[in-house]
Amino acid sequence: MREKAIYLLAILAALVMIPNLKTVFMDLPDEAMQGAIYRIIFIHVPAAINAQIFFTVSLITSILFLVKKNFVWDSISVSCIEVGTMLVLVNLVTGSIWGRNQWGIWWAWDLRMTSQLMCFLLYLGYLLVRPAIAEPTQRATLSAFVAIFAYADIPLVLMAIRLPNVRTQHPGPVLETGTMAKEFHAPFGLGVLAVFLICTALILIRQHQETAQREIDSLRRELHSI
Amino acid sequence: MKRGLITALAIAKKDLQTELRTKESINASASFALVILVLFSFAFDLGREELYAIAGGLLWLVFSFAGALIVNRSFARELPNDCLDVLIASPAPAWSIFLGKSVAAFFLLFIVELISLPVFGLFYNIHWTQNFPGLLLVMALATWGITVVGTAFSAVTVNIRLRELMLPVLLYPILIPLLIGAMGTTTALLQGEPMSGEAIASLRLLIGFDVIYTSLALYMIEFILIV
Amino acid sequence: MDITNLTFLFYGYSAAWIIITAFVFLLVSRGRRIDRELARLKSLVADKDNHPR
Repeated sequence: MREKAIYLLAILAALVMIPNLKTVFMDLPDEAMQGAIYRIIFIHVPAAINAQIFFTVSLITSILFLVKKNFVWDSISVSCIEVGTMLVLVNLVTGSIWGRNQWGIWWAWDLRMTSQLMCFLLYLGYLLVRPAIAEPTQRATLSAFVAIFAYADIPLVLMAIRLPNVRTQHPGPVLETGTMAKEFHAPFGLGVLAVFLICTALILIRQHQETAQREIDSLRRELHSI
Repeated sequence: MKRGLITALAIAKKDLQTELRTKESINASASFALVILVLFSFAFDLGREELYAIAGGLLWLVFSFAGALIVNRSFARELPNDCLDVLIASPAPAWSIFLGKSVAAFFLLFIVELISLPVFGLFYNIHWTQNFPGLLLVMALATWGITVVGTAFSAVTVNIRLRELMLPVLLYPILIPLLIGAMGTTTALLQGEPMSGEAIASLRLLIGFDVIYTSLALYMIEFILIV
Repeated sequence: MDITNLTFLFYGYSAAWIIITAFVFLLVSRGRRIDRELARLKSLVADKDNHPR
């Protein structure tokens, strides 16, 4: 069942992504100011949007774990956070490369970038601390606690380019203000969908591993007790 | 509610008393702060203007390093003789244990800051006494932020391997907004600017940070303080 | 077409591809390790069950 779902997601992702890449690279015209480089938005922003989706899922499952104490929620949390952190890294690196081309610098310390880097470091901290906790229940509980604390940064990332009195170097929101041309909307949405499908498949794989890891832990305890 | 606050006060008093008797973490933290201050003075060779421009940043780096040392001991202090288990098993609610420990850590860090401030003024030739009340206010707000988040995370890391390493890994990223606010305001205040405009906005940021994380930690702590 | 900007576009997409591929490799290698460990432990448990002390 799970394997079938993973294969299905991967095939769907390919079906969405390959025609979409053709649209992005072959059909869409160059942007007037930026030339070819603007196409990075079709990976840069979907990575960020999906990271925030997965972090939101991890917030919900972390709360659910604390309330229900069911390890399924914990395994979903850790999988979402691992994939989400990877996506934030993609977002930061592609953004940095875009900035080197457009601004001439790799990095600027404005609120958007700082808060996103902070997000990366927070969830990296989560992934580093988690394996250091030996006892499974304690590991899940403490991780959920850290995940909820880390999520407090996400509203800051979202607000960073929308606050009226904050000057930021990062381009403003292009979707809701209508500054993005109509013909870019479809490839953009399909880009978000493609990343979502791929990463959901990765999350399913990771979650299965987490379950297997807990089985290993319990088998180890059983062996000790025999 | 009221009984919880009384318990919190008792725990804070107990923590401060044991600490002031042994002075182990306050000595370590204060001398660490001083060593860092001395080291920074070798790291930069700066003129007067530049020195004032980085003063706030320098000060808060030192304070947050010292703070990590202090909150590291908050819960670790209870580990010998299984005191932590007894504390958790006692009828005291988790939030008042946490609040008490935060208050104790707050006072300890504040003492360390008050010790390092004159030394900082002396080594770097900075007139820190102008705007002193404003400076105290910023220090109080930011120190509370550091200690409340730090104590929450010290409860997370108390039982794990490499505790001393893991706490800063979790703590410093989350403190970034707080430190940005505190550094900016402190720099402005040390330069003798009145409390206005941007400084007020930073103060709001500090208050917001304190309120959000204090309520989050007080509410969440009962889930992790379990035997 | 602006050739400089195309170069950086290539860098950007390659970087994204490398990060995702590296992640998948990590995932696969961890999966292998977990499978091996699980099989080993299961056979150990079965052994002990067959020959109780």
